[in-house]
Amino acid sequence: MPEVTYREAVRDALTHALRTDERVFLMGEDIGEMGGSMGVTQGLLDEFGPKRIRNTPISEMAIVGTGIGSAMQGMRPVVEIMYEDFLTLSMEQLVNQAAKHRTMSGGQVSVPLTIRTQGGAGWSPGAQHAQQLEAWFVHVPGLKVVFASTPADVRGLLWASIQDENPVLFFEHRTLYPIKGEVPDELEPIPLGRARIHREGEDVTVVATGRLVHEALEAAEAAEQEGISVEVVDPRTLQPLDEETILESVRKTTRCVTAHEAVTRGGFGAELAAVVQHGAFDWLDAPIERVGAKFGPLPFAPALEQWVVPHAADVLDAVRRTVARA
Amino acid sequence: MAVEVKLPRLGQGMEAGTIVRWLKSEGENVVKGDPLYELDTDKVTQEVEAEADGVLLKIVVSDGEVDVGTTVGVIGAEGEEVSLEPPEPQPAEPSEPKETPAEEAARPAAEGERKEPAEPSDRSSQGRAVEREPSAPHGAPAGAEARGRVKASPLARRIARERGIELASLRGTGPDGRIVAEDVERGAAPSRPGPAEAPAVGEVEVVELNSIRRTIARRLTEAWEAPVFQLTVTADASELVATREQTLALVAEGDVKPTVNDVLTRVVAAALVQHRAVNAHFVEGQIRRHSAAHVGIAVATPNGLVVPVIRDADRKTVREIASARADLVSRAREGKLQLQDLEDGTFTISNLGMYGIEQFVAVLNPPQVAILAVGAIADRSLVVDGELEVAPTMTMTLTCDHRAIDGSEGAEFLRTVKAFVEAPALAL
Repeated sequence: MPEVTYREAVRDALTHALRTDERVFLMGEDIGEMGGSMGVTQGLLDEFGPKRIRNTPISEMAIVGTGIGSAMQGMRPVVEIMYEDFLTLSMEQLVNQAAKHRTMSGGQVSVPLTIRTQGGAGWSPGAQHAQQLEAWFVHVPGLKVVFASTPADVRGLLWASIQDENPVLFFEHRTLYPIKGEVPDELEPIPLGRARIHREGEDVTVVATGRLVHEALEAAEAAEQEGISVEVVDPRTLQPLDEETILESVRKTTRCVTAHEAVTRGGFGAELAAVVQHGAFDWLDAPIERVGAKFGPLPFAPALEQWVVPHAADVLDAVRRTVARA
Repeated sequence: MAVEVKLPRLGQGMEAGTIVRWLKSEGENVVKGDPLYELDTDKVTQEVEAEADGVLLKIVVSDGEVDVGTTVGVIGAEGEEVSLEPPEPQPAEPSEPKETPAEEAARPAAEGERKEPAEPSDRSSQGRAVEREPSAPHGAPAGAEARGRVKASPLARRIARERGIELASLRGTGPDGRIVAEDVERGAAPSRPGPAEAPAVGEVEVVELNSIRRTIARRLTEAWEAPVFQLTVTADASELVATREQTLALVAEGDVKPTVNDVLTRVVAAALVQHRAVNAHFVEGQIRRHSAAHVGIAVATPNGLVVPVIRDADRKTVREIASARADLVSRAREGKLQLQDLEDGTFTISNLGMYGIEQFVAVLNPPQVAILAVGAIADRSLVVDGELEVAPTMTMTLTCDHRAIDGSEGAEFLRTVKAFVEAPALAL
């Protein structure tokens, strides 16, 4: 199996979609000659030309709105929002339009639109370029939400998202672009709504998303040195959610930690905790612990940023709390 | 002003004790120094004295196991109101203290690492509730559990429900004394054998471990992990027996008569101070060699094995050793040893000679690095200068912790012991 970076894996899925489905086209700010501010779309303009790789004005509302319209007209647009912080500017289109049309038209129209975006801390982007807002969109019926953490997952999930008949918010993490991982020779779609068990364990289940999957795996290694066996599960798609895999894991381990980079309060971990307490109540042997960023706008200063967002040590602490004895 | 009676820590490493029974009843007058209740620790049962004068207003814990520091009763003035919070399950770790906002702000970052920076004003509604410190109070008000509500995890509740176990009968080991699944599993073994459970013929008799038995199990299992080797020597015990006979002549009417084992204790102590490698403890990666020989003697009691210590056995006469031994053994059999009787031993002698055992191997008594197993003295054939003779002999087996002692060190010690046994005068 070839080894590629997360960035190359995204590009590979886009290339594959563009080659195999003529309805697919890309739109976004500086995705043409510049290749996107994260370099994901580099080289695509040369192969597919300006009709399919379209630079846009700086208007997120227009980008998403155009995507919705063309999707309703039978195209398979993949639009890029440079930073997920800027999704705020397209909220009306996403929440009131993209999410609603299929239901409100009684199924007469659908919106097969993929909205790629990225965010995340770890490189001092400050408070307006690093948020993790995925939980907002899980709250909107009619949207699907994907957050991939590895090259293989991002490739297979993006391909599945582009083929999906519904609008999909597709979150990538800024600091994951350079990480490498093996991907299957053939690009197969990874069905939305299936979690991945990264590591099996007996004592505690850590349900982690995005960058925190890697932090959780590091914490699991450390916990093992202390005799705590940690299972790490990545839901990969937040909506639809693979509740069964998560519940099955917690019923086995009897303890659960949720972990994401987004602030804890109102984060996706809260939803996971609710699902777990309801579906595995009689199996829980400790309160569910949540790991997330501290509740404040992200500081620019690297030392403070490091302190605000969670790392492996925070996951390890939470794991220890679940198995703690007084 | 009422005084709370808290479970005392009677020795190093004591975490909890079991209240056997109260010797005073509620409403009874007590004077400081009066025996108040009987406490069973993992080593001994002893009476705990009142530390204040007054009336025993309330017995909070009438019996059962409680942690050190738990309030078990209250002494105060007659008629005084007792407004006592029910016992915290884990008093050793106080709940997170309430802080003023100023103190909170002054706390260093390390301590506040699970809190938010630059918080908006409504801190109480922020992440605290879910991101608490492990020992912080949460959920129901502290103490509610003692008045009917039991803190237990959902899993623990389910297992208890399925197996018909009363949660209130269990002790929680989770944070804030919460009962977790493990506690229920542990409690699932029949915990309160009632009269109906007297074994019928052919049935298995279930014996609950008392605290001494539990300690024996735990400590000897630990000891089993040590890499040990054994050395065995057989000595002519004629002189040892003769020495004991001689001491008897000096014993006054009513005094304790020394035994052969008392003489042996004395000569072994003399050997120990000459071979301090054997008179040592192995603790925390250190070998601690002791200059005084505090010799433990293994004593069988109805409750199990205990090893009271004869202090400074190298500086005591045989008669003094006999007197100390007689006192310790009789108190051991009555369950009246104090913790200090059991502490600081540097070496142990285990003698099963009275049962006719010829030789055996003893298990280490940690942190001590060696133990001597002594067999019966009996007339046996012995070759002396090429001639077959009959003499009283005794076989001794030394178990050594190889982490601390090498074979040659153990052998040198045992050679000295044999020499002293065969000529006790050399030990003077």
